[in-house]
Amino acid sequence: MKVAICSTIVPFVDGGGRFIVKWLAATLRARGHAVEEIFLPFSDRADILMEQVMGMRLLEIGRSADLLIALRPPSYVLPHENKVLWFIHHIRTFYDLWDHPYRGWPDNVELRSIRAALMAADNETIREARKVFTNSNVVGERLRKFNGIGSQTLYPPLYQPERFGFQSLGDEIVYVCRVEHHKRQHLAVEAMKHVRTPVRLRLCGTGSGHTYHAQLTDLIRSNGLESKVTARFEWITEAEKADVFAHCLAALYIPLDEDSYGYPSLEAGHSQKAVITTNDAGGVLELVTHEDNGLICEPEPEALASCFDRLYENRKLALDMGRRAEEKINELNITWDHVVEQLLT
Amino acid sequence: MKVLVLNNMAPFQRGGAEELADTLTAKLNATHGISAELVRLPFTWDPAEKILDSILSCLTVQIDNVDRVIALKFPAYLVQHHHKTLWLLHQYRQAYDLQGTNLTNLPGDKRSQEIRNCIVAADNACFTSCQRIFVNSRVTQSRLSQHNGFKSEILLPPVTSAEDFHCRDYGDYIFAGGRINMMKRQHLLVEAMRFMPQGAKLIVAGPPESPSDGERLQQLIADHDLQDKVTLELGFLPRERLAAYVNGALACAYLPVDEDSVGYVTMESFYASKAVITCTDSGGVLDLVGDSQTGFVCEPAAEDIARAMSQMTSDPAKTRLMGGNAREAIMKIAPDWRNTIDRLLA
Repeated sequence: MKVAICSTIVPFVDGGGRFIVKWLAATLRARGHAVEEIFLPFSDRADILMEQVMGMRLLEIGRSADLLIALRPPSYVLPHENKVLWFIHHIRTFYDLWDHPYRGWPDNVELRSIRAALMAADNETIREARKVFTNSNVVGERLRKFNGIGSQTLYPPLYQPERFGFQSLGDEIVYVCRVEHHKRQHLAVEAMKHVRTPVRLRLCGTGSGHTYHAQLTDLIRSNGLESKVTARFEWITEAEKADVFAHCLAALYIPLDEDSYGYPSLEAGHSQKAVITTNDAGGVLELVTHEDNGLICEPEPEALASCFDRLYENRKLALDMGRRAEEKINELNITWDHVVEQLLT
Repeated sequence: MKVLVLNNMAPFQRGGAEELADTLTAKLNATHGISAELVRLPFTWDPAEKILDSILSCLTVQIDNVDRVIALKFPAYLVQHHHKTLWLLHQYRQAYDLQGTNLTNLPGDKRSQEIRNCIVAADNACFTSCQRIFVNSRVTQSRLSQHNGFKSEILLPPVTSAEDFHCRDYGDYIFAGGRINMMKRQHLLVEAMRFMPQGAKLIVAGPPESPSDGERLQQLIADHDLQDKVTLELGFLPRERLAAYVNGALACAYLPVDEDSVGYVTMESFYASKAVITCTDSGGVLDLVGDSQTGFVCEPAAEDIARAMSQMTSDPAKTRLMGGNAREAIMKIAPDWRNTIDRLLA
């Protein structure tokens, strides 16, 4: 089958939205399909939002593809008679983050009308799809609430999960993720002020701005946590990452109301490591169950610290939860075989 | 410095421009201090009305987080950016030099004329906004000057891996590689084989642009009973297989209609010390191929092409000599990637 996969990008910015396309493309090619990846540059600047949407609507890939799979917004405005959506998030500042400080523009008549136009365009073009999948129940629920559109959850698997595995149970809690304010690495650092055991914290990853990196570095230094916290604000290689997970005590993933469970949660699970998260982390809570395959606590430094200490002191618990973390992925059928079957049939 | 390479795409089709865009991006990334990314924008020109949509669409694309843009083809080069360098491979030829031929989808009617005016206006506005304009050949340069009145510098695209092409031996066949379509006129080569004696061999290998382009050649071979003389290999050739065909050929043939550039097919043949048969109307190819020096330049007619093929097979010593000249000629002008990138970013 000839499959076009379309998504949007900001040039030179990598992230989950790009990886899911590349992994899906590689998976489909390995199964003998012809795949064309179409990445369209997109800026979320409000004043030119709708003209970009219009520009994408005017594009056409026509009959050259048997199937169009569209992911990141607003790539799904591309017309195609056999369009399937794997909807991974809205342009959130115009949807669920409208009433949130992250919005960054005023709630005036002009912006409200842009918001209405975007919603109208989304409503119409998403409905053209033959099937609509989302990457989590959270996103599916938003699609129902804001657009009145039903969908099925199709969890995105990790690419070649066999690269991850258990090696040993160390004494580090690892947080491997983009370093952005909404991922809340600062909460993790602050938690380390309150731990009672020799448990350690490792932060790996980079982000779009260096201000937050500097804030974190400062936070570590001003609290004298250099010996307990290792911070590497850079992309580590996939091999290094597998190694970090293979030897850690548990993984941490504490974003604020994230759309999906996040690849760090899967990487931890495939490495048989428990996941510590917070009760406001959004999609992560679809994967992590408290006391089963991880721990869920309040988004407070003290609460996180006691989770860290608990797993450090009770290694049997950490091991058992780690094993359950892997089982849970299988129970939810988070595999590429399942994804391909759903998207292509 | 972050450099974005901009090109068109027609989904599931690959040719020389796609190869150049990929290689350019890779070579930029291998350059110290540069990170590069390729963006390919879908382009539909059929029906012609869609060209207007494509123009408008490109004008709405917002490029954030990029220091430089290098743009290659219409309409992708219309995307706006404060520092855009054009490396023009070709314009929308159907609105320019192919006007008045049967190869355009913009015939002389009023609506076609309006669409053509939009293309020219968008082009001119873009060319004015570019920091620098490079072109891939003299042909592209003169068209740009003649139709749009813009000056440009020639920057010949280097062959992706020139080292793959070197003479292995001089076999008994003439090889014609590259994309197969009406414009590349492989059908003329097949027809020429009607006039060749038993034992003459032609190998045509490459991806047909559409299924009918392949079927046309198959039909021609069947109609004239040329199975013994012509081998047809339809589909994309892995690089090693393509190189093996070129490296072992007696000579090569490449007969495009007024080609924009000298053509990868020509350059690869020259690297492999093979003389090239081409036509008087093949455009940029004539920048490289000199008649009786590095190949033969024929009238675009089957009999004349057959005559050139006969000369090649009957006088292999001269054919080799011309092949040697071809190698010398390409080595003299061979562009390398480091200089190419220096010029593009200067």
